[in-house]
Amino acid sequence: MISEKKTGFGNKILSNKIYPIIILSIIVFVAVLLLMLVNSFTQEKIIAEREAKVTNILQKIYPDMQDFELKDDIYIILKDGDVIGYSFIAIGKGYGGEINTIVGLDKDYIVKEISVLSNTETPGLGTKILEAFFTDQFKGLETQDVKLSKDGGKIDAISGATISSRAVTDSVRAAIEQKVEIIKSKNY
Amino acid sequence: MIEKQERLTAKKFWQEFAKGIVITNPVFVLVLGLCPTLAVSNSLNNALGMSAGVIFVLLGSNIIISLLRKITPNLVRIPVFIVVIATFVTILSLVFEAYLPPLYESLGIYLPLIVVNCIILGRAEVFASKNSVVLSIADAFGVGFGFTIALIIISFFRELLGTGGLEVFGKQLFSIPVLAESPMSVFIMPPGAFIVMGLLLALFRMIGVLKNE
Repeated sequence: MISEKKTGFGNKILSNKIYPIIILSIIVFVAVLLLMLVNSFTQEKIIAEREAKVTNILQKIYPDMQDFELKDDIYIILKDGDVIGYSFIAIGKGYGGEINTIVGLDKDYIVKEISVLSNTETPGLGTKILEAFFTDQFKGLETQDVKLSKDGGKIDAISGATISSRAVTDSVRAAIEQKVEIIKSKNY
Repeated sequence: MIEKQERLTAKKFWQEFAKGIVITNPVFVLVLGLCPTLAVSNSLNNALGMSAGVIFVLLGSNIIISLLRKITPNLVRIPVFIVVIATFVTILSLVFEAYLPPLYESLGIYLPLIVVNCIILGRAEVFASKNSVVLSIADAFGVGFGFTIALIIISFFRELLGTGGLEVFGKQLFSIPVLAESPMSVFIMPPGAFIVMGLLLALFRMIGVLKNE
């Protein structure tokens, strides 16, 4: 009888300890299943959305673009099978987080156009990096001129948003230097 | 008998709903969830997107947590709440990224941070884990709309003063001629959030005190 009592008591402790674990595991399992389901529904759309955004911007930078190839994160812009330019994404550290900028070079590595893809800068201040008066300054520049004018380059910083301006400018220059080397060494 | 009980629930339903908006307004009275409130109230657009997200997550988590309240062991209730809330937030962020990419980008880090929004965890702990599903739905809508109203009020003043106009879903509602040319940008930056929030809290407190007298 004593042993029976003991077992009962022991079981209770055991079930008290195991029951929460089982419940939590079941809930986590169901949650993961649910997320897999939602992910499988939205994944295609998310990827398509991202690609469409990049393609749209490339089309705007290179109006005669017919096709592009993606090699080593470099978009090689083609027209009638000839290379007319190179494009890639520059990642800079801004005031509010990462700034992703699409850089478009022509085939002589002169900047054709830049376009900010995504940013989390302060609305109304840092987000002025999206506006044409800032991004147009990059047109036709060679790599060494892609610097803020106070750093000896040809880009005027946006007043009140020097950090954002510098983040874009410096990341664009760094990306050009790095990618042009890859392009030259691999002869794309 | 059944009819009476139903009417009672309906009455309670509206009571719980109204309570969340006015008496226990999460932002102005409970002063909860200030991180997203201060961060995304820089434009009306972001405020509306964030509110929609919070209402969705709050509703989902309140329903599930209320359904699970009898089988959830006390020992692991917080992990259970967090798993349920995080699941809804992840669903929300996937859906936003797929179908509303501009809003997804402007909400940025604050969308995944809904997981740790203390309004949602607070409602799970204080209300949904102790009340029926119907009342939990009422509570979610009440608190959710209370949050929405607070965000709309704050972002209205911040966007108006900070940019000189108001814009909703990419459409310019109106802009004030002189202010739009040289807006008081401080209001859309973090200090502006504290200034507007502080003044509004003082105002609501004053109304409360005057009412009690």
